[in-house]
Amino acid sequence: MTAKAANQNVEAVAAELARTPRANRNLEQKLAGFKTIAEGLDYAACGLTGFNFYSAKGVLSHVLTYAELRRRALATARKLMSAGMKRGDRVAIIAETGPEFMAVFFGCQYAGLVPCPMPYTMYIGGKDAYVGRVAGMLRAAAACAVVTSADLEGHIRAGAAGAGVENVLTHEKLQALPESLAKLEAFGPDDVAYIQYSSGSTSEPKGVLITQKAIMANTQGILRDGLRVTKSDRAFSWLPLYHDMGLVGFCLAPMMGQVSVDYISTPSFARRPALWLRLMSENRSTVSYSPSFGYDLAARRINGEAVTLDLSNWRAAGIGGDMVRADVLKHFGETLSVAGFDQNAFMPSYGMAESTLAVSFSDVAQPIRIDTIDKFAYKNSGRAIPATEAQDQDAVRSFVVCGKPLPGHEMVVRDEFGRALKDREIGHIFVRGPSLMFGYYHNTQATEAVIAADGFLATGDMGYMLNDEIVITGRAKDLILHNGRNIWPQDIEWAAEQVEPLKSGDVAAFAVEGDDGDDDVVVLVQCRATGDVEIEKLRREVSAVVHHSAGVECEVVLVPPKSLPFTSSGKLSRAGAKQKYLSGEFVEIAHRSSQAAEFLAAAQ
Amino acid sequence: MTASQDTIGQICKLLEPFNSTGKVLTPDTEISTDLNIDSVAVMDFVMEVEDHFDIEIPLNVVSETHSINDLAMVVDARTKKA
Repeated sequence: MTAKAANQNVEAVAAELARTPRANRNLEQKLAGFKTIAEGLDYAACGLTGFNFYSAKGVLSHVLTYAELRRRALATARKLMSAGMKRGDRVAIIAETGPEFMAVFFGCQYAGLVPCPMPYTMYIGGKDAYVGRVAGMLRAAAACAVVTSADLEGHIRAGAAGAGVENVLTHEKLQALPESLAKLEAFGPDDVAYIQYSSGSTSEPKGVLITQKAIMANTQGILRDGLRVTKSDRAFSWLPLYHDMGLVGFCLAPMMGQVSVDYISTPSFARRPALWLRLMSENRSTVSYSPSFGYDLAARRINGEAVTLDLSNWRAAGIGGDMVRADVLKHFGETLSVAGFDQNAFMPSYGMAESTLAVSFSDVAQPIRIDTIDKFAYKNSGRAIPATEAQDQDAVRSFVVCGKPLPGHEMVVRDEFGRALKDREIGHIFVRGPSLMFGYYHNTQATEAVIAADGFLATGDMGYMLNDEIVITGRAKDLILHNGRNIWPQDIEWAAEQVEPLKSGDVAAFAVEGDDGDDDVVVLVQCRATGDVEIEKLRREVSAVVHHSAGVECEVVLVPPKSLPFTSSGKLSRAGAKQKYLSGEFVEIAHRSSQAAEFLAAAQ
Repeated sequence: MTASQDTIGQICKLLEPFNSTGKVLTPDTEISTDLNIDSVAVMDFVMEVEDHFDIEIPLNVVSETHSINDLAMVVDARTKKA
């Protein structure tokens, strides 16, 4: 190659790696209103906007305009067909944030295949738990093929073998296949769109089946009614693409509005939380979302750098995925005010995968609103009575108002007998509307358990209405929320019960609210051992296995045999165990001397 | 197989700020489980290791790493390559 050619090559690469523009000058912005995802991409591909991927060190590494994505997706659709896929087949894709995932996900849309984004592993020592989890998801999806990065191929092959899925393709291998010449038949308006597998426990994963109609309705609600997107918007996301907030909120919705998105991967964010803010400053981003814990991490890690940033363009700082923590937001707002961050940008919202993503948004133009209520009435009479100014901090509880449901959607709060409740009466939250999932894939029983004949979805969350707006107070179901992740207590219990000599029914896992408002995990274990060494060994092993399987730290509490409460039908009562624990009714088997622990360490 | 003592020593030094249990770190210490470190903090620690040794540790390798010795071997293999 001549020096000049080499130079041109470098220039070509540099030119290619200019991030996509904020808006399309010559293309009218449409905020959804399409019939299918493929139609939305066809339209976005007429402009210059698209996706930009940054490396773990914050360097722009891939630019994928919607036009280029459409070209790649069409080619990938033909390659998937040469891989033997037939219309309606499920294609699992390990959803690492990058252009490869996008090509396969949207390729499926053009080929009439059902993409199932699946998680990757990011925990130290987490391989075995991950392989089991993937196997369960592949089995539940009856996946015909799974597409993965070469890095994770070994893990995925192990999981696929466990699920009886033979077709494991790396992105390289898929892209090397010839393009089928058969006619491409994209999904139509009445077809499905994708299946999301972040719901359900490891032992019984539930795939949320989302239709094209639901995704069209929800993305329109997000763009037009929730965020009120304009041509001056530019989105930023580090959220995982196997989760609804990442996939719908920061991939599908922006595309349906021809908005450019800048990405870092979730592990990149976890390793360098400040990178989120630095790149948002660089790109003058206007919209970004995170669970409360993300704001917490970023605020704690930004240190002196805050003063060098410009976050004044950030108009919608959304919070979702966990209980909105007002204290965390306040700290973030104070820390980043020096960077021009506007506290009024905070936008609490409420949603779930079963409703595609969004159910309600607080008003984007309004500051965050907090309802402070009397704690005694909240706990004892199930009513949210406004606290008086004279009341002590310990006598009140504060909750964040999460806004009105999207137009065309209904939200009701009911008591345990199904009667509709009035404003400020706390009960179970139900939602209905065009965004609801079709059901859990191939699981009628689980679907009927949450969607009733009247079309209302039982969200599993508790709360109350306040002038047509919803306030979330907690969860009715046993689900544990930790750092924005859903953890099923069944998974922790099942893992712990594998520790010798524990048996089924010896373990109860639940969450208690920590000092910071996040869930702390408590694991009660019935202990028959009497020797100090055995007792400490059991404590250590349960803690280790919970760590490996669920990736959380937990407090292991050893309790006497036969002390865990069971329901009349013989099922473990987690609520009962929690209540007993909180009221101090258990005779806890105390930590033995550190000598025993040291002996144990030496013996290994 | 065991990793170089020097690498193990450096990793222990990097890990110490995350070790709230006060347990003595040995090559056999299991990083996430023995020390009760939150999963997010573990990733933070992995980043410190990457920066310190100027290497990249892919997630699939992270998921197969349990003890300090495991991690030191990963570091040894990757620093030699470079």
